[in-house]
Amino acid sequence: MTELAQPGADYSIVETEEPEVLSRNLFAAGQLLAGATAFFFLSFLFAYFYLRSLNNAGLWKPKHVDASVTWGTIVMACIVASAMLLRFGRIDHAAGRREAFRLKALVALLLGLAALVLQVLAWHEASFGPTDGGFASVYFGWTAFLFLFVFCTLFWLETVLATSWRYRNDPMGAAVVAPGHASGDPSRTAHDIRNPVELNRASLGALSFYWTFLAGIAVLTWIVLYLI
Amino acid sequence: MSVARRLVGFNLFTACVLGVGGWYAGWFSAHAVVGPSLDYFADVDFNELSLVLGYIGGVLGFLIGLGFFNYPLARLRGYPPSLREKEQGGIGRYFSLCTDHKVVGIQYLVGIGLFFFIGGLNAMLIRTELLRPDHQVWPAGTYLTIVGIHGTMMMGMMTSGILGPFANYLIPILIGARRMAFPRIEALTFWLLMAAGVILETTIFFGGFPTGWTGYQPLGTEANPGIDCYYLFFALVGISMTLLGLNMIATIVTMRAPGLTWSRLPIFVWGVLSTAALMVLAAPVLIATLSMALMDRVVQTNFFVAAQGGSAYLYENLFWVFGHPEVYVLALPGFAIVLEILPVFARKPLWGYRLAVGGLLGVTLLSFFVWQHHLFFSGINADLRPFFMLSTELISIPTGLTFLCGMMTLWRGQIRYSVPMLFCLAWFFNFLIGGLSGVFLSDTPSDTTTHGSFFSMAHFHYTIMGGLVFTFFAGIYYWVPKMTGFQLNERLGKIHFWTMFVFFNLTFFPLFIAGFQGGMPRRVVTYPHGLQFLNDWVSVSAFLLGGSMLLFLYNFVKSLVFDRIPSPADPWGSKSIEWQLPSPVPVQNFDRIPVFSSDPYGYGEGGRPVVVPAGAPAGMN
Amino acid sequence: MATPAPKRAEHGKRVIVGGIVLSVVATVLVAVFGGRFLPPGNGSVQASGQVLDNTVMLAIVTPVIAGLLVFFIYVLSQFRHRGGALVDGPPLRDDSRVRVWWIVVTSVTVLFLAGFGTFELLQNGSGGGQGPDPIAVPAGTKLPVQVIAQQWQFTYRYPTYGGLETPQLVLPANTYIELHVTSLDAIHSFWAIELGVKADANPGVDNVAFVKTKGPRTFHVRCAELCGLWHGYMFNNGRVVPEAQFTAWVKSQQSDFAPIAKYLPKYSTTYYPDPQRRAG
Repeated sequence: MTELAQPGADYSIVETEEPEVLSRNLFAAGQLLAGATAFFFLSFLFAYFYLRSLNNAGLWKPKHVDASVTWGTIVMACIVASAMLLRFGRIDHAAGRREAFRLKALVALLLGLAALVLQVLAWHEASFGPTDGGFASVYFGWTAFLFLFVFCTLFWLETVLATSWRYRNDPMGAAVVAPGHASGDPSRTAHDIRNPVELNRASLGALSFYWTFLAGIAVLTWIVLYLI
Repeated sequence: MSVARRLVGFNLFTACVLGVGGWYAGWFSAHAVVGPSLDYFADVDFNELSLVLGYIGGVLGFLIGLGFFNYPLARLRGYPPSLREKEQGGIGRYFSLCTDHKVVGIQYLVGIGLFFFIGGLNAMLIRTELLRPDHQVWPAGTYLTIVGIHGTMMMGMMTSGILGPFANYLIPILIGARRMAFPRIEALTFWLLMAAGVILETTIFFGGFPTGWTGYQPLGTEANPGIDCYYLFFALVGISMTLLGLNMIATIVTMRAPGLTWSRLPIFVWGVLSTAALMVLAAPVLIATLSMALMDRVVQTNFFVAAQGGSAYLYENLFWVFGHPEVYVLALPGFAIVLEILPVFARKPLWGYRLAVGGLLGVTLLSFFVWQHHLFFSGINADLRPFFMLSTELISIPTGLTFLCGMMTLWRGQIRYSVPMLFCLAWFFNFLIGGLSGVFLSDTPSDTTTHGSFFSMAHFHYTIMGGLVFTFFAGIYYWVPKMTGFQLNERLGKIHFWTMFVFFNLTFFPLFIAGFQGGMPRRVVTYPHGLQFLNDWVSVSAFLLGGSMLLFLYNFVKSLVFDRIPSPADPWGSKSIEWQLPSPVPVQNFDRIPVFSSDPYGYGEGGRPVVVPAGAPAGMN
Repeated sequence: MATPAPKRAEHGKRVIVGGIVLSVVATVLVAVFGGRFLPPGNGSVQASGQVLDNTVMLAIVTPVIAGLLVFFIYVLSQFRHRGGALVDGPPLRDDSRVRVWWIVVTSVTVLFLAGFGTFELLQNGSGGGQGPDPIAVPAGTKLPVQVIAQQWQFTYRYPTYGGLETPQLVLPANTYIELHVTSLDAIHSFWAIELGVKADANPGVDNVAFVKTKGPRTFHVRCAELCGLWHGYMFNNGRVVPEAQFTAWVKSQQSDFAPIAKYLPKYSTTYYPDPQRRAG
């Protein structure tokens, strides 16, 4: 018993973890999050085909209900372009071209935000409302939640970008910051993290996986809600 | 630190203040944005939107008050990932955002225990109503709300009943890590669950809800605004479950200490892993389904309104696609705790380790393919019934494997009847009855009688209360000395066990008869006079069962608050790693990360060490 | 201990022999007497089929319970730890014979149960609701009866008798009945206990169930799906009467309800009432 732990040992021991741990954690979390997201949107996919095949009261898709393919295509294209750009940015980051990465990530962020704004416009311009039968329900529900997921992922993207900007002058693998600096908590005495740039790379890896996955969901949305 | 500064910091007090503030902010923002145009009830001064936004605002305020937004905001400004929030020492940690997995485990134990007792109290109220066949103690609407809160609280809260307290506390220790993969998310799951529990209770201010824990449509679309509390509760529980499962899997996959190969993992960790997999994949379906139901009420979509192009079957399907894995989310941790504890008290290795793991994973996989056995007579997919009958009955094969492993572990052992062991042995009896009564429900012709009757109600109380709650108490008696450093009174524990076991069976076994012979449907406020004797018998037993829970509470408080007899590091003679640490476990868990050399079940196999100090070669057996 | 501990093989033999003896006795008792007390009784052909099903189930479940009880009583009494110091048991980690036998026996049992259940189900639908397109349709002429569930009562329509609507359920004896179950509001479940019929009533759905009545009797009807405030009070009784009596009853009902017959909607398999007031 005494070999493994002593009561009241120094707490700061916890903090000395190598960045690979966070990298592996985030990698696993990205995959699991993708699984959970897939099942979330599968429910809407199921609802789509279920209500479509039942066509209860003939109200699956009344005459005037037709989602605009133009709007849908633009929104989908913005999300896909943003995800692709982030993937290229990730290659830049891995190769040490951090400035090029930041530029690409910034454009990716703006494209994502554009997708959100355009989605709101698409809702506004739609010829029908959520009350107009089965398709309208699925359409508004699905796009609303895709909006939410995209918004949260863009938040993640912003944090990666902001961290990269804040440590733009620190070389990779050597940055040492003051105690408590990282968490923004001046009352800390122990180090949070030894190398923020390395950690940012881990975060970026998981993010670009998840963002690509979500772009895949956006493509699925586009196919199901607008094309078929 | 002065009292004032303590109150202003990020803690439960601030959280409650901001939660109430957020609630009103959301409420009035809906009024400001929408005005009374959505106000369908002329005599009520609010609409659905204001209620839902109120609760969303309340939850956000609550989380802000706890300090959950400090880190994301720091990240937004470009501060890099960091592991922990500011640590406070002492009791304050338990009332604030704390990222120490051991604190979260104890928070979960107390928090879930609290809501478990509230749910149990509702059960007592139900049985009070059913004392007389015709006399109404509660008005019918109140009665249905009580039934609904009881079911929802138990099914929602107790999904995390074992993973919350025990997995959060033990998983990092069992796998030789110092923390969970995502400590803040770990804390978030707990506080979300607490917010959800309070939301469910507030349903009584908005007329309650008449749907039971399943929330079937179109009843849910027509119901009082109180049902929004049900939807929000379960959706929050779903979010909490998803994150909890995600965190568990990430931790187990990535943070195992050197030498801890998959075949050396304690069986409890396997149980947590399979449960977590169910949570990550099934809970999102629940969140989506309840979101649709909320949208049906708030923005007038028609997902579930058949007359407007929707379908109530859609709800039934989606709900049970989540709902049946959910049932195994409740059952699997129980299997795992039993298989983990038996070797310790039988002083034998776990028999058939691979078989046990296969059983757990088999149940996990199959549970996604059985959901329509809840809908045998609903009028959908009549031609698929043989398939769902088969898949449902196939689940008994992997379940049987865990039974076999447990039974063969006892075989020729040196069995000690300590309190945790008694609860595990009771699990065999309860789950045997529960599982075999399930055969009648899985078979479509038999199900014609049993479906929706007290028979099915008795069945799932045998599997869930007999399976989950008994092992929950096994876990408490087994691990609480490690978690708190104090012993629980053994004598009172045994009295608690025997009263609970006896009155549990006296309560629920007669319900099989009431449903099977008497044809008594579930969730009724009245029943034929001929069934009064059975129901009175059940009610009295249920009250005594409740008394047995109070006995537990007495034991818990007496042992941990008043007696405070220090527990030795290893009171049970276990070989597992958590018992080689001091009780309670120090904040850093391990001074040095251990290296595993075998699984923790080497009883009778010589003095082989489970862990060796860091630096020694791995796999030295 | 006075007697020396038995050898390993003897332990196994005792449990197996004890388990088999008790199982056989209990199973024979269940198989012989089970049909007398098992629900839903002898009210219809379908109900009798379900009694057979329940008897078979119970006869399979009984030896499992008996065998496991013998096992646990033996193990928990024989292998308990005595004395102070901790003693380890033998380190048994696997036994391929036990493993294979267990898997074979459980698999065979499960497959038999599923096969038997499917056979029983496809024979005559076993009284369950099968939706608008039933798969197990018994041959011959059938009397269609519509069950309309609403909060919180059942009404019945007889389309072959001019769409007669009545709050009483009366069925002719020894006749195949084709029940069309539907709902006007929430989901209900039509459960005719002694006839062995259960079918959910969904708004906008025609859920068909078949049942062949036997001799005259009364039976209970209950709602088996939570449908709101007065779910508990949603029950009534039905009667199975001889053919002649049934015809007379129809006549009297037709004259009783003649004044309101013209206000009834035309008979239809489903009814879409006006959109209900929704919360919001």
